[in-house]
Amino acid sequence: MLRSPEWHMLIVWYFFLGGIAGGAYFTAAIADNFGGKKDRDVIRIGYFLSLLLIALCGILLILDLGVPTRFLNMMGFFKFWNPMSIGAWMLGVFGMFAFVSSALSLSGSDSMARFRRIWSLIGTVTGFFLASYTGVLLSNSAQPFWSDARVMGALFLASGASTGMAAISLLMYLSGEAAGEGFEKVKRADRFAMIFELLVLALFLALLGSAAAPLTTGHLAPLFWVGLVIVGLVVPLVLDLVGAGLKVPAVVPAVLVLIGGFIMRYVIVMANA
Amino acid sequence: MARTLAMFTDTSLCIGCRACQVACKQWNELPLEQPEWTGSYQNHAHFTDKTYRLVRFIEKPKENGELAWLLMSDVCKHCAQAGCLEACPTGAIYRTEYGTVNINQDVCNGCRYCVTSCPFGVVAFNHDTGTANKCTFCNDRIHNNLGPACAKTCPTDSIQFGYRDELAAKAEKRVAKLKEMGHKDAQLYGADTNGPLGGLNAFFLLLDRPSTYNLPEKPLLPQRNVLADSLLSVGSALLVGVGAVMAFRERGGKGGGHA
Repeated sequence: MLRSPEWHMLIVWYFFLGGIAGGAYFTAAIADNFGGKKDRDVIRIGYFLSLLLIALCGILLILDLGVPTRFLNMMGFFKFWNPMSIGAWMLGVFGMFAFVSSALSLSGSDSMARFRRIWSLIGTVTGFFLASYTGVLLSNSAQPFWSDARVMGALFLASGASTGMAAISLLMYLSGEAAGEGFEKVKRADRFAMIFELLVLALFLALLGSAAAPLTTGHLAPLFWVGLVIVGLVVPLVLDLVGAGLKVPAVVPAVLVLIGGFIMRYVIVMANA
Repeated sequence: MARTLAMFTDTSLCIGCRACQVACKQWNELPLEQPEWTGSYQNHAHFTDKTYRLVRFIEKPKENGELAWLLMSDVCKHCAQAGCLEACPTGAIYRTEYGTVNINQDVCNGCRYCVTSCPFGVVAFNHDTGTANKCTFCNDRIHNNLGPACAKTCPTDSIQFGYRDELAAKAEKRVAKLKEMGHKDAQLYGADTNGPLGGLNAFFLLLDRPSTYNLPEKPLLPQRNVLADSLLSVGSALLVGVGAVMAFRERGGKGGGHA
């Protein structure tokens, strides 16, 4: 007889927004280091989005505690083999990277930009960590299904990448930057992330086998198959590849990917709620 | 470290009187709860944040079709390799000098990672205090040379308290005797320090397979896959990262642009 941790919507939102924060940050940092001057909007939007979201994530996590006033108790302690312990620390470290990268993205000076690129390249490690550790946290528990899912961290990382990139394209679209070359590059990166995510999801289900039943055949199954697999991955990929001919606004795939990313966290967390 | 203490619960001696369950409630000042219908004499169905000792009443069909009781007073196992302790990010869960596992109620902040990391589903979240609760091995009593309240009160010595090595030797003799008497499925659960989770400091003598008692046949440490899962995540990060670099790289040479 195992017991549910009673992790509900606050945690679902944290897993979703934390993935976007990590994904948006490393996308911006990669654009910063490997892109050109036309990617400036991608970089700024990515850094500021990750900064905003990480602050929100901290609030969500504190609110979820049984005794929120004791949130600093995790800061008096460190276990390098414990995903939640490293996660609590990395939340702060990531926030520091996001803050400095955001602030420096406002500066026009070349020396500042050089420093920002190096700083952000180091920061990508924290971005990748933030997007994936929540999966490793779940897969190292005593719960059935969670603890059987060896590639949960890899899956969360792929989803963090695709949703982070989708969030950047959505914000670019809303701020009228959708015509530029940067927008096309984010979409190209997101296309790769989505294809990768679909492959990792297939591997996830294959490795789980019958242990995936809570997702594939239980009461969450319609949400999983329709909401995540079809609406959240297959449709945006198809639209992305043939959308130009269909006259579908370029932002639609991004919105669908975000919906799919939320549903992924929802069905996985709620499978043991 | 002091010599490891243990509780040995010999289910073959249990008469289902629930004195242990009551003694635990009394000593630890655990408040009243809504009772729970389980279809049997057992109440509650499982440990709660206010029930640390629980007598399980398991109905086992006999060959003639009648039902026989299997009685078992269940408790936190105080594992030598404890999933809850490894999961705790605040240090609230600690190992005492006697080898028992305890939750410091003044440090726990209610993240509930321990709740989901116990292979036996023992640790429970208390909505009144916002902290995780479980059997303390009567930490106050053992530090004053008193046994845990449950062991002290047990009228049949089904629950025994003492030094781990002595109790384990006693348990071995008892299981051999029960086998001689015809209880062919009699077995120890958690007595072996080389066994699963490095042995349980609250171990049991069962009259049937562990699964009959709703116990895992081979409990595993939840943290055993941290390294493998992390490396798979790193691999995933590398692939995603390369994809993004390819997408953003300026065509026809190095990206020398300034943002």
